[in-house]
Amino acid sequence: MAVSSGPVTGSLRRDDGLLRRIVTHRADYAYVLPALVVMMVVIAYPIWFTVDMSFYKTPASLQLRDRTFVGWKNYHTILTAPAFWSVTLNTLIWTVASTFFAFLLGLGAALSLHREFAGRAVLRAILLIPYVISAVAASYLWKWLYHSDFGVIGALSVQWGFTDKPINFLDNIHTALPSLIVVNIWREFSFAMIMLMAGLQTVPEQLLRAAQVDGANAWQRFWHVTAPHLKGVSMVTVLLLMVANFNSFIVPWLMTGGGPAGASDIWITHIYQIAFGRQNWGLASAYSVILFIVMMCLGYFYVQALTRGDKGRPE
Amino acid sequence: MSGRVDGWRWAGRVFLVLILLFTAVPMVWMLLTSIKSQFAAMQYPPQWWPKEPTLENYTKLLDPTNPVGNDFLRYMWNSFYVSLATTVLGVAVAVPAAYAFSRFRFPGRTFLFFAVLLRNMFPAVVFLMPLFILMRWLGLVGTHGSLILTYLTFGLPLSIWLLKGFYDNIPIQLEQAARIDGATRFQAFLLIVMPLSVPGILATSIFSFIGAWNEYVYAATFLNRQDQLTLPVGIQRFFAEFATDWPGLMAATFLMSVPVVVLFLILQRYFVRALTEGAVKS
Repeated sequence: MAVSSGPVTGSLRRDDGLLRRIVTHRADYAYVLPALVVMMVVIAYPIWFTVDMSFYKTPASLQLRDRTFVGWKNYHTILTAPAFWSVTLNTLIWTVASTFFAFLLGLGAALSLHREFAGRAVLRAILLIPYVISAVAASYLWKWLYHSDFGVIGALSVQWGFTDKPINFLDNIHTALPSLIVVNIWREFSFAMIMLMAGLQTVPEQLLRAAQVDGANAWQRFWHVTAPHLKGVSMVTVLLLMVANFNSFIVPWLMTGGGPAGASDIWITHIYQIAFGRQNWGLASAYSVILFIVMMCLGYFYVQALTRGDKGRPE
Repeated sequence: MSGRVDGWRWAGRVFLVLILLFTAVPMVWMLLTSIKSQFAAMQYPPQWWPKEPTLENYTKLLDPTNPVGNDFLRYMWNSFYVSLATTVLGVAVAVPAAYAFSRFRFPGRTFLFFAVLLRNMFPAVVFLMPLFILMRWLGLVGTHGSLILTYLTFGLPLSIWLLKGFYDNIPIQLEQAARIDGATRFQAFLLIVMPLSVPGILATSIFSFIGAWNEYVYAATFLNRQDQLTLPVGIQRFFAEFATDWPGLMAATFLMSVPVVVLFLILQRYFVRALTEGAVKS
């Protein structure tokens, strides 16, 4: 690797041909090569495999040699199945509601924690614990809190007179999805909090003080001074939360398995069921390809938000 | 005017108390349940405070002579081994890549970088099928190697992203000075940049370790032998047999969370920095 040419910065001479530049920089690739090889094997291959498999009917025995080519049939099956639209609606509710409330709570916590006070660091650490522990732990913990006979939430709602008898939160088509969303918010809001706390540090103190001198009240100071500075980090946070929620599997899978009667079934749990419950890999692959496309769109916005955050900072 | 400012401050305090309750009450209830006997936990209305607190659930899990404890400790060891291997290998691969992304201007660099980032966008479940086939082909199904390789790759984009942020902040003049003094580029990297990037390496290591420790989906699919399971899958299998042993499950869940919470509390500063690096430029 010591044979490399050029100054430390590496030279970028626009007039060079592409091939020439690749040859000039051959030594640079040595640094990224290990990462590239690993990524190729474990990312490029799976994507190719999934796209390819989505055009085949695969036997439930999973002897993939016996697959038969069926063209776009899997896609047709998905888009015409009534389950597709209910699962999509659940996914939308799940993703949007989780993201919205996690962000809102995170913003509230970040603003309240911005000012220095005794115990602030301890408080921040405690609030972050649900984000750090595994989703498996969180799922079992909340399953116990929601338990239909001995759950503390049901007992409290009776004690405080909200209901006559404990609600079976996870086994009721009206409460299953909202109950899971609460768990998700519990796990994620502190992520938004940490991001926004970092964002708040970029708000110049002088601007806030100047606004105060000019007679702006607390709300005006927040809206006209603080909020514009949080725009970039908020966009990144919301997108990251959306991606994470869209992709989250463990909480719905371990807590309800998508039930009852599909009431909390979202895309990921649905795909898992088709692939490993019904062993229909062709159909599951077609579902995954549609999901890829959705994710690429979100990914596009993510990159946009990131690069905008780099360049066009307000003021 | 000061009256209104105080109003906002009070609203903030009330909000913090509420959100602290929301966060902490579930965890406190987990702890209270874990020190109850099974009989005491299964009561309606619940025993708010354990009448006869017992550590029996914990001693059972941590006693290697007990079959339950023997399995549990083995799962914990498996988790530790897999997480540590993932972390060490991940750092070894990510460091040179992140350095190259930060310093060099080779063709394809931008494209590669976003390709690396996009990996984070794809959920584990849709990668399960191809990776299972791949692992079968590599002969790794049913080994910890399959998990280490998988965790390595899905931790890699984040590690590279974080480390690149740290390298960007190390002045390039330091390396240039070393080059003028006769060091090769690799020597400058190893002797000048590496020691300065220790905080970055720590930050990425915490992330890899916690990610690997907590992972469930691949571990549930790639491993088949009971004695190989990692904790998140292990405790599930474990308690399926005694589906109603909630105090035992809460104790196991607590013990499973202890290492990551301790790690997080010790290295909190790096964790927070890693989380916000890149999204927020200060």
